[in-house]
This record gives sequence, C-alpha cells and structure tokens, in this order.
Amino acid sequence: MPAEQERLYIVDDNESVCRSLKLLLTTYGFEVSTFTSAEKFFGTVSDKDRGCLIMDIHMPGLSGWEALKRIVEFKIDCPVIMISANKTDGNPERALKSGAVGFLLKPFTDKALVDLIHSALEKPTTALA
Amino acid sequence: MKKKTTISKRLAIGKTKNGEQKRLKGVVAGLRKNRNGLNDKIRKQKNALVKKNGELRNGAEKQVRAEEQIHIRTKAMESAVDGIFIIDAQKQDYPIIYVNQSFQKMTGYQKKEILGQNYFLLYGSEADPQVIEKIKQTIRKEKAYHGETPNYKKDGKKHWNLLRITPVQDARGAITHYVGIQTDVTMMREKQKEIDEQREELLHVTRVGKLAEFVSSLAHEISQPLTSILSYAQAAQRMLADREPKLREILSYIIDDDQRAAEVIHRLRTLLKKSKPDMKQLDINTLINDTVELITTDATVRNVDLKRDFASHLPLVTGDRVQLQQVLLNLISNSFEALESSRDVREISIRTSLQDNDTIRVEVKDTGVGLPVENIPKLFTRFFTSKPDGLGMGLSISRSIIEAHGGRLDVDNNPGSGVTAYFTIPISTKDA
Repeated sequence: MPAEQERLYIVDDNESVCRSLKLLLTTYGFEVSTFTSAEKFFGTVSDKDRGCLIMDIHMPGLSGWEALKRIVEFKIDCPVIMISANKTDGNPERALKSGAVGFLLKPFTDKALVDLIHSALEKPTTALA
Repeated sequence: MKKKTTISKRLAIGKTKNGEQKRLKGVVAGLRKNRNGLNDKIRKQKNALVKKNGELRNGAEKQVRAEEQIHIRTKAMESAVDGIFIIDAQKQDYPIIYVNQSFQKMTGYQKKEILGQNYFLLYGSEADPQVIEKIKQTIRKEKAYHGETPNYKKDGKKHWNLLRITPVQDARGAITHYVGIQTDVTMMREKQKEIDEQREELLHVTRVGKLAEFVSSLAHEISQPLTSILSYAQAAQRMLADREPKLREILSYIIDDDQRAAEVIHRLRTLLKKSKPDMKQLDINTLINDTVELITTDATVRNVDLKRDFASHLPLVTGDRVQLQQVLLNLISNSFEALESSRDVREISIRTSLQDNDTIRVEVKDTGVGLPVENIPKLFTRFFTSKPDGLGMGLSISRSIIEAHGGRLDVDNNPGSGVTAYFTIPISTKDA
C-alpha cells in the first residue's frame, strides 16, 4: 500500500463501469476520479495533476485512441491503460505502439487491472521515454 | 350455200306442182331447224369442254400448290431446332407416326427405331414414372401438356427437356393426333443453377456478415454490464474482508458466472470473426453485370425495370469481389423494397462514371417514394430500420465495406422522386 494515495482517472462513457471501477479501486487504496468523456477529463485535469488514466476506447465524441494521441502529443505525464469491450477496437500491441502502457479487454479481473496500474506507476510512461 | 342453190334450182326446174313444193319447203325448214339445233348442241358441248378443261387445269395447279405447301411445311418441320413428333391418338398404344431430325438428334434414336413405338418408351428405364404418368393423364384428359422433365438419350445420357404436347382435332372436334415439341433446356438449366448457386452464396455471406455484425454489437452491449457487475462483486468481496463468509461465497459465484458469460461472448465473437478481404483488380462494370444477373429473375417478378448506364473504358479498381457484390446487392434490394408500394414507374438505374482522375462513382437510383428527411442521418446507424423485418445492419455494413476499400458511401433523396445510393471507389494504382 503506497504511503501517499496514488491518483487514478477513469474515463468511460458507461456510468456504471465508472462507478463500479471506482468502488473496486478505492478498496485498493487509490484515489479515483471518473469522467464520462475524454473532453470532460481534459477540461478538469491540469498538467500538474499526476496519476494513471484508465480509458475506454469506444466513446462518443473523442475516442480513446484520439484522446491518447493528444496526451502523447502534449507530452502529458500520465500513463494510460486502454480498455475496451471489443477485441476489434484494439489490442495490447496497438496500445503500446500508440504510447499507452497496456490494454485490457472488458470484463477484466481486479488482479489484472491492479497489476497493470502498479507497473504503470512504477516506470516512466512510454510517451516520455 | 352451194347445196342450197342446187335444191332451189331443182325445185324451180323439176317439180312444179304446188303441193309438192310446199312439202319440200317443209322438209327444208325441218332440216334447217335440225342443223341449227345441232350447232347449238355442239357450241354448248364445246363450252362445257372448255370449262371442264379450265377446271381441270385449275385443279391441277391447286394440287401442285398444295403439294408445294406440304413440302415446305415438312421441310420446315425437318429443319426446326426443336424436336417435333406426331402421335396417332386413334390407335390404342399411341404410336409415333412422325419425328423430325432434331427429335432424332435429341433422343439418339433413328427414325426407324421410333416410328410405330409408344412415345414414352423413348424416355428410358431411368425416367421418373411419376412424371410420365402425369403426362399420360394430361393427354388422356385430352388436354395440352407443358412441363420440364428429365430425359434419357438412347446412350443413357440425361438431359432436360421442355415438353409441350397439344391435341390435334378433326373437323368434328375429335382428337385424331397429338403434336409434341421438345426443347433441350439442359444448358439453360445449368446456367440458371449456376446463377442460383452464386446468389445463394452471396446471400449466405451477407447473412453471415449481418450476423457477425449483430453479434459484435450485442457483445459490446453485454460486455459493459458484465464489466461493472464483475467490478461491483469484487469490490464488495474486498469490502467484506474477513466478514460474512456466506455473502462472500455468493459474491464469488457472481464473479464466476460473470466470467463464464464473458467467455461465451468472446468465443462467439471469435467464431464469427470477419474473414480477411481478398483484394484483386476488378472491372467495376463487369462486377455490376455479374451482380445484376443474379437478381434479374427477382426484378422480373417484382416488375422492376433494371437499367444500366455505364461509362466505358473505366480503369480497374482494387477490391474484394464478394464484398463489393454484397454492397451492390444491398443497395439494389433496398431499391426493390422502396419500389414495392410504387405504382407508376418502377425503375432502378445503375450508373458508373469517372468522378475524377482517381475515383470511380457508382450510383443506384430508384423511382420510389423517397426517404423521410429525418431518417437520412440515421440510415447508417446499426439497428436502425424502417422495414418490418429488417435488422438495420445492411447499410452500416455496406458503408464499412466501402470505407475499407478507401471509398465513401452515401444515400440521398432525388430532386424529383426516389432515392440515389452512391459509393466511390479509388481506381487501382499500377503497382496495386
């Protein structure tokens, strides 16, 4: 358990997914903020805020891939984990190539997600490497 | 005249008595009368003979002409491409009394083997007895028969026969003969079978495509709640920590079942995974012609006029033949349905043109009622449909196929009436 609470951001257009992940990840000691669109995330979170972003791919408006592209372009110091309910929307290779730290297919277990979060927070993001 | 003078002289010179003279005058008058009567008779007989002669000549000419007619008719029957035969209906076992050359060629039997035989004996032992019985019954009822039947040649080779048998009646209406015409439709049937198979295959691919698209959408919709259910249950389990072992057990069942459901969905998705497109260089006009051939019968049944207006010498495009046919079939069948309620002109025109140096444009235009303006933006949304039995996948799949080919697909109302669906497709680069 980290001494200082690590911050997580969840971006998913499905409110129930946001709520359940927040409940689950809070039990692991994370401080979790949720957003139902990438636009809302960009509008709220500043460059100085640090943490790990868990982002859905298939969203109305800015898609997960477009949002990731922006994060990489603007060199925002924030590791990104891509999640999707559809295999054809993405895969771990594409996620890593695009600058994310990983990809999880919905539904995923808490273990898979938490392991990925820990490894993302331990090493510097691909975007800045 | 000389004779007359002599008698007069004799009367004047020889006989002088009045009575004698009178008698003689009477004799002369009688002779004159007789001679005139004889002349009349001769004239009449001569006229009768001339008339008779004319009649005979006419008759002979008529006969020659009639023979010519028969000769021409026989020749025509002999030269006909269809097999022609005549059956004697007044004899008990309906023997064949005439066959033309094509009939012999079609059946493989020679004239001498056929004449006097019952027609059905020529069908061979493998022929379907039910079909033969049906033909026989129709004939016995003195009706005409029309149908396609399998036939076997003398050498046993099967062919398809379009058979028409019609009764021939005499002046009193009694049936004396049957005339039959048979056409070898094996090639036509094979071609039709090929077209049917191709259409069936294409429809199958389309159905599978729709199903895959449907399952994919469904899987996405179901995976979302499965994700949250799993996370809720795992969160609750962690919150309970060491307390409430029964509740934790229940939560573990929820987690297991959630994961099982997710597994089923992933498997289903893998099963219906799209096959990779088979990209080849294609001539778009040929591709449209091939597709139209598959639905010509459908168009005829629906009383729809299918028009084609192709730009000639179009450059080739690179594409998956089956996928592009799927798109065309989808657009044409949408037009078919749009024309269903249309009473006036029922027409679909398919047009190809070169939009610019790099792009070919294909339009499918109908004369239907057109689309309600508010529906146009929704057309490409999955599950949107205005048809009672529609899935709402067709246009969305078509658009994704065209986009994968580097083109664009859209639908718009015509200025007059009806709808034009069009797509663009880039032309092949030389190294493609």
